[in-house]
Amino acid sequence: MELFLQQVFNGIMFGSTYAIVALGLTLVMGILHIPNFAHGHLYMLGGYITYLFVATLGLGYWPSLLIAIVVLGFVGIIMEAVVYRPLNEQPHINAFIAAIGALLVLESAVEVIWGPQGMRVPNPYPHTFEFLGIIMSVQRLLVIFGAILLIVLLHLFLKKTLTGTTIEAVAQNREGAMLNGINVNRVSSLTFFISSGTAAVAASFIAPIFVISPAMGAIIGMKAFIIVLLGGMGSIPGAIIGGYFLGLIESLGGGYVSAAYKDVIAFGALIVIFSIKPTGLFGKKEG
Amino acid sequence: MLKLNQVNTHIGGLHIIQDVSLNIEKGEFVALLGSNGAGKTTLFRTIAGVLKPKTGSIELDGVAIDKLPVHKIVEMGLVLCPQGRQLFPELSVQKNLLLGAFPLRGDKTRIQKNLDKVYDLFPILRERTFQQAGTFSGGEQQMLAIARALMGEPRLLLLDEPSMGLAPLIVKQIGEVIENINHEMDTTVFLSEQNANMALNITDRGYVLESGRCTLEGPCDELKKDEKVRKAYIGA
Repeated sequence: MELFLQQVFNGIMFGSTYAIVALGLTLVMGILHIPNFAHGHLYMLGGYITYLFVATLGLGYWPSLLIAIVVLGFVGIIMEAVVYRPLNEQPHINAFIAAIGALLVLESAVEVIWGPQGMRVPNPYPHTFEFLGIIMSVQRLLVIFGAILLIVLLHLFLKKTLTGTTIEAVAQNREGAMLNGINVNRVSSLTFFISSGTAAVAASFIAPIFVISPAMGAIIGMKAFIIVLLGGMGSIPGAIIGGYFLGLIESLGGGYVSAAYKDVIAFGALIVIFSIKPTGLFGKKEG
Repeated sequence: MLKLNQVNTHIGGLHIIQDVSLNIEKGEFVALLGSNGAGKTTLFRTIAGVLKPKTGSIELDGVAIDKLPVHKIVEMGLVLCPQGRQLFPELSVQKNLLLGAFPLRGDKTRIQKNLDKVYDLFPILRERTFQQAGTFSGGEQQMLAIARALMGEPRLLLLDEPSMGLAPLIVKQIGEVIENINHEMDTTVFLSEQNANMALNITDRGYVLESGRCTLEGPCDELKKDEKVRKAYIGA
C-alpha cells in the first residue's frame, strides 16, 4: 500500500509537469494548427535560465523563476515572429521543418553555452517529511500545488477575460476573429508568451529535483506531443488529464514492473488507447 | 463614403477582380448582384482588407485603406459579415457577440446597449444566450453573424450573401432586419446577393458583377426592368 501511495504521489508530481507543458503546447497548436515541436526545448531553456540566475549569479529561487518566465515568454514571441509568422500562408510542412530547425538551434545553443553534461539547480526547499508513509519534500509539493494554481489561473484567464477569449476565438476561426477587429498577430504573440512562460514555470519547479541537460527538451517535447494527441488535439481539459494520466502510468509502471520499462508501459498504453479511440480521449470528430 | 478606383485582385495567379470602380455614399443601401463565381465574395474580402488588391485604390471617407490590416479597417467602422458566417462554433452566443464588440472594448455601457439592441432585433438569440454557436441551424447562425457584426457599431456594413442556403421565410425575415438596420440604425449597407429578387426589393441601387467586371449599375427600378438582369438573375 505504501509503495502504491508513494508511486501515486510521484506520478501526480510528474503529471503536474506534463500537464503544464502539454497545456502550453495545445494552446499554441490552436493558433498555428501544427504542433510547435520546439516546445520541449523552450522548457529545457527555461530550466537553464533558472540555473543561470540561481546557481551562477546567486539570485534567490523565486526571483530567478520570474526572470525565467519573462525571458522564455520573449523567446516564444521571437520564435513566433521569426520562425512561424513568415510561413503563415505556406503549406504546413514548411512550418514543421522550421520547427525542427528551431529546436536544433535551441539545443545546440544550450550545449555550446553550458555543455552537454547534466547540471543541478540548488534545491530551495530540500526538507523532506513523511505523511501516510509517503516520503514527500516541500519542493515536490510545490510542483503539485504550483501546477494546480497555474492551471486554475490559466483557465480563468481564458474563460473570464476578453483577452483570453480572443485566444479561443483565433483558434476556432482565424478569419472570423480578424473580421471582428482582433489583431491576430498580437494574439499569436500573446499565446506564444503564455505557452513558453508556463513551460519555464514547469522547468523551474522541477529543476531543483532532477538534473537538467540539453537532451531533456526532446524527451519532454515528445511526451507533451503524445499527451496532446492522447487528450484530443487542441483540447485543454484533454491536455491536463492526459498529463496526469501519463505521469501516473509511468510512475506506477516504473514502481511495480521496472523503472527501465516505464516508457514502454506509457507508450504501450497510448497505443492501446488509440486503437480503441483514434481521436484521443477528448477528441472531436474531424469536420 | 466608400470609393473603389480601378481595383484588381488576384488569387493564386488568377485575375479575379478586374478594374472595378464604385462609389457608395453615406446612408445608402446598395446591392451587389452577380451569379455564383462572379467575384462578389472576392470583392468584399478585398474591401475588408482580407485580400490585398494588386492595383487600384480603396478609400473610406477619403482615407486609403487598401494597405491597412483588417483590424484597423474594422476600427475605422467598416465591418464585413462574411459568407459562411465565420462564427466561433464552440463559444456561446454571448461570447460571440462580445467578441463582435471588440473594437469598443472597455466601454461597458455601450456594449450592453448594443447587446440589448441586437437581442431586440433577433429575440431568438436572447433565448439562447449561453448556447454554443455551432449547435445552431443555418438561419440562426446567419442571424448571429449579422448581430455580431452590428455589435461593433459599423458605419458601413458589408453583408456577403446572407440569404445563402436559407428557407424563403427566413430570407424574408432577414431581409426585413437588414432594411431596418439601414433605415433605423443609420448604417450604410452594401449587400451582396445571388438572390436578386430579394436584393432589388429592399436596396436603393445596385451594381452587377460579371466575371469579375462591373458591367451594369443603376437604381433598382431600372435594374429590375433591364432585360439582361431579368434573364440572368430574376428568371422572368
